[in-house]
Amino acid sequence: MQKEKKDYIVMSIIIGVVCVILLAVMFMQFKTVEETDITAIENMREVELRTAISEWKTKYEETAEKLEANRKLIKDYQEKIEKNEETSSLIDYDLKESDMILGKTDVYGEGVVVTLEDNSECKVTYSDLIELINELRYAGAEAISINDARIINMTEISQPNGVMTINSETRVHSPYVVKAIGNQTYLSSTLNLKDSGFIDTCRARGMTIKLEQVKNVPILKYNGEMKTKYMMKGEEKE
Amino acid sequence: MKKKQIAITLGIVCFILTIAIAIQLKTIRNTNTTISQSLADNALRDEVLKWKEKYDVTYKELASSEKELDSIRKEATRNDTTSQAKQEEIKQNNMLLGMTNVQGSGIEIVLKDNLTASNDPLLTLNPSNVIVHNIDLIEVINALKNAGAEAISVNGQRVVPTTSITCVGNVIKINGQKIGSPFVIRAIGNQELLYGSLVIPGGYLNILKDAHVVVEGPNKVDHINIEKYDGVINFKYIKSR
Repeated sequence: MQKEKKDYIVMSIIIGVVCVILLAVMFMQFKTVEETDITAIENMREVELRTAISEWKTKYEETAEKLEANRKLIKDYQEKIEKNEETSSLIDYDLKESDMILGKTDVYGEGVVVTLEDNSECKVTYSDLIELINELRYAGAEAISINDARIINMTEISQPNGVMTINSETRVHSPYVVKAIGNQTYLSSTLNLKDSGFIDTCRARGMTIKLEQVKNVPILKYNGEMKTKYMMKGEEKE
Repeated sequence: MKKKQIAITLGIVCFILTIAIAIQLKTIRNTNTTISQSLADNALRDEVLKWKEKYDVTYKELASSEKELDSIRKEATRNDTTSQAKQEEIKQNNMLLGMTNVQGSGIEIVLKDNLTASNDPLLTLNPSNVIVHNIDLIEVINALKNAGAEAISVNGQRVVPTTSITCVGNVIKINGQKIGSPFVIRAIGNQELLYGSLVIPGGYLNILKDAHVVVEGPNKVDHINIEKYDGVINFKYIKSR
């Protein structure tokens, strides 16, 4: 009887100890497993990594090009200063470049022309046009106009009482001819994406829409004034 | 009797341990695959970091070259009033483009995915409606532009002529950068007009509120800082006549 009780106690203790050790080992292992996956980059899969590489590469190349252009401009200015020459032609060129990006000049180049038209089944809304602009910009459009009204940074499209209005002043009507300058292939393949692309989603709703690739798209300049009243220069942080 | 008890205890312990080991083996197998995968991906990872670093360095150089260009323009044009005016115009253009930090009075709005609505038994909502989509951001920005906003940013990303807001899967990207809820939209301009354009009945903010998206504001803020675009506008296809 005594012996049996002793055996029982010993057995229980051994089992208890073994359990504790095993649990400890298990927790240690679970912890290690948890620690192995943190930071964003480490978790990326191969496809994501490849996309990330090409994204950073493109960003780097564009920055490098811009830097190169800036340096050339600085050098040109320096030469003019050293030789005490007239700077007016150089500043004219400089200003023209910046006006071009902003939309203050007539421009041309390869691109696409998208025509949207009202029909009895589906009317074009301002939302369709702002979505199209967003898609075109995503595909790298450098200049956009709708029925020859230039779309600049702060352009809005509204539809008060059903009248499509661009920049609160220019009224436009169907058919809406949206011109965009940029890489033809990117522009048309982005819009033509099967099912989820802009053209297919509009067609599914019954809209009349067509896209043409054009070698030389002319886009007119923005005619209004670009004034600022509330915006002031902020502090430059370094 | 005692023996039976011991046998049962041992049986239970063995059973638990077996399950634990099985779970562990499974976890380990999973991590093993990630580990071997990550070994293969390490080279790619290094390359991502390499290009990112190259970009960072070049971007810093670009920022300083931009400053240098500003000062040399000023120096080169100081003897000529017409050129000086043109130099000022370039500066103004850069501000309009979003290439400089700006400040002024304006408004701030916060849009958030509604995470509690789907748990509310009284609301039978489509989960897709209560979250913020790229279209919602585009519409709000359009409304702000309509009210004459001069500078706009979303989660610190400046709205520039090349800005697009896209949605890939569950990720919203603006200027190529991933952003997530809460979406903080800041705009500089006439406070009354900006505010009015957003709270107008039937306006887009009310549409969002009716869809149970969380909308905070618009709040009028007297001093808003909006940061410059942190990318590059480098056009290749447009030409001037």
